[in-house]
Amino acid sequence: MTKAEHGAALEITDEQIDQICEEFGNREGSVVQVLQIIQEKYGYVPAEVLERVGDDLGIPHSKMFGVLTFYSQFYQEPRGKFILKVCVGTACHVRGAELLVDKIKENLHIEAGENTEDMMFTLEPVACLGSCALAPMAMVNGNSFGKLSPDRMLEMIHQFQEEEASENKESVSAS
Amino acid sequence: MVKVTINGKEVEVEPGKTILHAAEKAGFPIPTFCYNPRMDPAGACRICAVELEDSKRTVMGCITAVSDGMKVLTESAKVHDARKTNLELLLLHHPLDCPVCDCGGECPLQNMSFAYGAADSRFESHRNDEPEDMKSDVLVFNSNRCILCGKCVRICDEIQDVHAIGFINRGFDTIIGPPLGKKLDCEFCGDCLEICPTGAITDKFVRYQFRPWQMEKIETTCSSCGSGCRMLVDTESEAIVRISSQEGLGPNEGSICVVGRFGFNHVQNHSRLDKPLIKKEHRLVPGTWSEVLPRIADRLKSIVSGGSGRVAGLVSSRTPLEDAFLFQRFIRQTLRSNYIDSGARRGMMNIAKPLALATGTLRPLVDNEDIIGAEVIVVIGADPAVESNITGLAIKKAVRKNRSRLYLVHGQDVSVSTRAKEVIKLLPNSEAAFLELLRKVLAAGGSLDTASKDLLVKIGASVEGVENLLSDLSSSRKVVFVTGRRFHHSDAGYEASEALIALLKERGLWEQEGSGIFPLPELGNDMGVLMMGASYEWLPGLLDSGNPDNRKVWGTHWGTTLDSPGGGLKEILAGIEEGKIRALITLGENPFEYIPDSEFLRKTLGKLELLVVIDQHQTEIADVAHFLLPSASSFERPGHLVSAEGFVQPTAPSMAYWGESLPDAEILLRLVRQMGASLPFENFSSISQEIFKIFPDLRPSTRNGSHFQGKTGEIILALPTPSTPHKALRETVVSKIRGWEAGVSPGQAPKAEGQEPSGNEFMFQFSKSINHSGTFTTHDSNLMTIEGSGLLRVPRQWARKMKVKKGNCVLVRSAHGTISLPVDPVAGLSDREVHFPIHFADERTLALFGKDIVWNHRSGVPSGQTLSVTLEPVV
Ligand code: SF4
Ligand code: SF4
Ligand code: SF4
Ligand code: FES
Ligand code: FES
Repeated sequence: MTKAEHGAALEITDEQIDQICEEFGNREGSVVQVLQIIQEKYGYVPAEVLERVGDDLGIPHSKMFGVLTFYSQFYQEPRGKFILKVCVGTACHVRGAELLVDKIKENLHIEAGENTEDMMFTLEPVACLGSCALAPMAMVNGNSFGKLSPDRMLEMIHQFQEEEASENKESVSAS
Repeated sequence: MVKVTINGKEVEVEPGKTILHAAEKAGFPIPTFCYNPRMDPAGACRICAVELEDSKRTVMGCITAVSDGMKVLTESAKVHDARKTNLELLLLHHPLDCPVCDCGGECPLQNMSFAYGAADSRFESHRNDEPEDMKSDVLVFNSNRCILCGKCVRICDEIQDVHAIGFINRGFDTIIGPPLGKKLDCEFCGDCLEICPTGAITDKFVRYQFRPWQMEKIETTCSSCGSGCRMLVDTESEAIVRISSQEGLGPNEGSICVVGRFGFNHVQNHSRLDKPLIKKEHRLVPGTWSEVLPRIADRLKSIVSGGSGRVAGLVSSRTPLEDAFLFQRFIRQTLRSNYIDSGARRGMMNIAKPLALATGTLRPLVDNEDIIGAEVIVVIGADPAVESNITGLAIKKAVRKNRSRLYLVHGQDVSVSTRAKEVIKLLPNSEAAFLELLRKVLAAGGSLDTASKDLLVKIGASVEGVENLLSDLSSSRKVVFVTGRRFHHSDAGYEASEALIALLKERGLWEQEGSGIFPLPELGNDMGVLMMGASYEWLPGLLDSGNPDNRKVWGTHWGTTLDSPGGGLKEILAGIEEGKIRALITLGENPFEYIPDSEFLRKTLGKLELLVVIDQHQTEIADVAHFLLPSASSFERPGHLVSAEGFVQPTAPSMAYWGESLPDAEILLRLVRQMGASLPFENFSSISQEIFKIFPDLRPSTRNGSHFQGKTGEIILALPTPSTPHKALRETVVSKIRGWEAGVSPGQAPKAEGQEPSGNEFMFQFSKSINHSGTFTTHDSNLMTIEGSGLLRVPRQWARKMKVKKGNCVLVRSAHGTISLPVDPVAGLSDREVHFPIHFADERTLALFGKDIVWNHRSGVPSGQTLSVTLEPVV
């Protein structure tokens, strides 16, 4: 099956899934770990993949879906290349987190939880990221950015866009 | 035993039991939502709160075990408070749309709120208002009304073992439903619908069409398979609104399958015959009873006056004891003929006859409870959940709860396969060779020699699987063999049955309590119809009709002399061909469903001077019938059915006769009177009385008793205590089996081993679908919504390779013809087999089998269920 990861087409075959499951001895108890690996690799857990993992581990699809939807870390849909996790916890909230969120919505034309059409960005407001001293803060693909302002946020977005553009150019010229 | 005091009353209960159990025993039932006696307690709803008198603590009654000296209050102020608060919390988001909820009026949540007066809440809340999940054609999920007790998920997991639904999301957002936003794809047993204590799951077929308090509930027995489920028919103004069940009711303990729960519309469908029809100038035209009966009677009289053996009768194996008994007596006594046969021949004669010869009875030595308790269960040539759903549930429970070792010998994975220790794939028609091999190897010490291994490979069986089976068979004492359709229909089905009986004898299993053979009948009364003598070889009570002494016994009792030898379907068709048999009466039986050569059949039946068809629907046979008489259905007339477990259970009328239809027995009795003959039966109940008088062991019985009342308030079901024996007596069987030996085939014995299809051939086979029973249910709008056409089940591997998808057509080619059929690729099918649901077999499909009918010499069962074909995708 062909799946879009970060905007790019990615192939994930049944055999690859079987292999991941086998690494965990096809144990029922390893379901969360298996899903984590799949999510890490593909950015989300496609329906067919979920079913295959269920078949491999001997877990009914209904229970697999229960696990998938129970943990907020798992996604059923592909997500953008840059996940903008904007903290809307208490400290960040009083320091203007909403303004950051609004800025993103306005500029990228997406709502919370949505991807941009080019699959570059996903906006994901989250609760306290544990660095309240740096409020308001955000995390993008694992990197923290503190003491943000709406303008700084916009700058960062432009920066990511440029990075991506030059990367694409390189790969075009290389080919 | 532990002593507990409930509200001041002392009771003794076994240690380990819960407070709920003790309170029930003391006569103080505790309210529950999430508890169910058949499932593990979940402790999810907290409505069962009780107070411990000493510590003043409230605990949950359904999960707290009793301890000695425990003092419990079930109705204290504190308990009421706790329950009330609980209800408030449950109702926090509940939409309170009872007036438009199908569940209103029979809703435990509503009743409990009424009882505890908790309708208004101290908490601020918003009402849930999510859209319903309407994707399924059968069940609607309304998450707003759900209290998350989890019963639906648990019954689907723990009892049905289908795992179709689950919890989705977390916390406040949790809902119940099928995975991945898909349409519900399951067995549609409706158990979740039945068990839900709110209106969160509703029945799409009857939504908004009823108010529970306006319906009358009538308890009856399902006649669609051998499970003999007890169920409740909910009617309004003598029309069926829906079918429901009740926790613990009947041998099925409250579970019923898709056919039982949703398949009732065929009896109130406009395709039903509502008037007698007479053939006039090649056309069937409506007539009246007073017009048709005298004409039929006259013709019968004149035919019978010419001599004995000129009339034949065929009867369906759904027919109750009474009608079957009357039918055979009518044919034998009034019409002086022993040409009589029934659908039970196809259904189970291949195993019934050898079993009767060996054990003297058709009743099994084991029932579903023995299956649950068995150490080893061998399912051979059967698909239990499909053919006899409740036995399927028993097998699943045995493996889950009791760790029974399950062996499955079949050509495909069936619904219990995932629970099997070994799935041994066998070529069709190889059961006889397989069982004979097992017996020989067990007799010789239990290990396989090279020749045996070669044979196993030849018939497609895995040697390793068989080795495991052999070792389990030689070391276990409680072994149950479950046989079904594929076994009973196999070419050497009779010989396979003998091999099985001999195998049990070899292992001394006949003597072992809890061991035995459990055949799955095809319809609701296969065994009963045979016991009543509705087959030429047996007079009532399984007495050999070829024996003059037996004929004398019944002849004297009936005040007549009985004719011999007569014959079954094979002889009947030959007799008609020769012109010897001039008249045929069919009761719910249609040979066009299984005789492949319909042209031959039409020609043969066309020679009859008189063909009277008594049925509910017009079928192919109508073309050649002279009279078509409308028959009342099992929902309209009383009767008793013998289940696979041997229970003798009544059906109760719940709706008015459809149009002018009449019960079979009534039609026959009127005919007898019209002929100026007499049989000593005034009415239906005089037939029941006669049967129960001459067969004292055939007494109404069921599991768990019965407590529902009939329409007029009388108890229709005088069902005695659950201890009434339904199984055969082991001592009697054991003493008979000692003298038994397998017989010898009079003609050429059919091949005991199947042949591997060559080259690119597949074995085409008819099988039963879980959603249908016979061809009856193809007239049922509900079941046709669930499964509306026959799809050829093909191996998924093959479909992938050939790039055919579900619904695509393939050309199926046999030596006799080619037809195009849509396919359904399925996993778990042996890669050389394709299956077609028998319910949808029409002339075209049957024609693949050509003109030859192969009859098993010893049982008279027509084979022709298996055939070599090639498949070619239509591009
Ligand atoms: S209808 Fe039966 S099989 Fe389907 S979800 Fe409900 S309990 Fe499960
Ligand atoms: S749907 Fe019904 S049975 Fe299932 S959890 Fe909700 S309330 Fe309980
Ligand atoms: S068809 Fe069989 S299993 Fe289904 S409800 Fe009827 S008797 Fe029960
Ligand atoms: S509230 Fe934003 S990091 Fe804690
Ligand atoms: S019945 Fe006891 S917690 Fe639900």
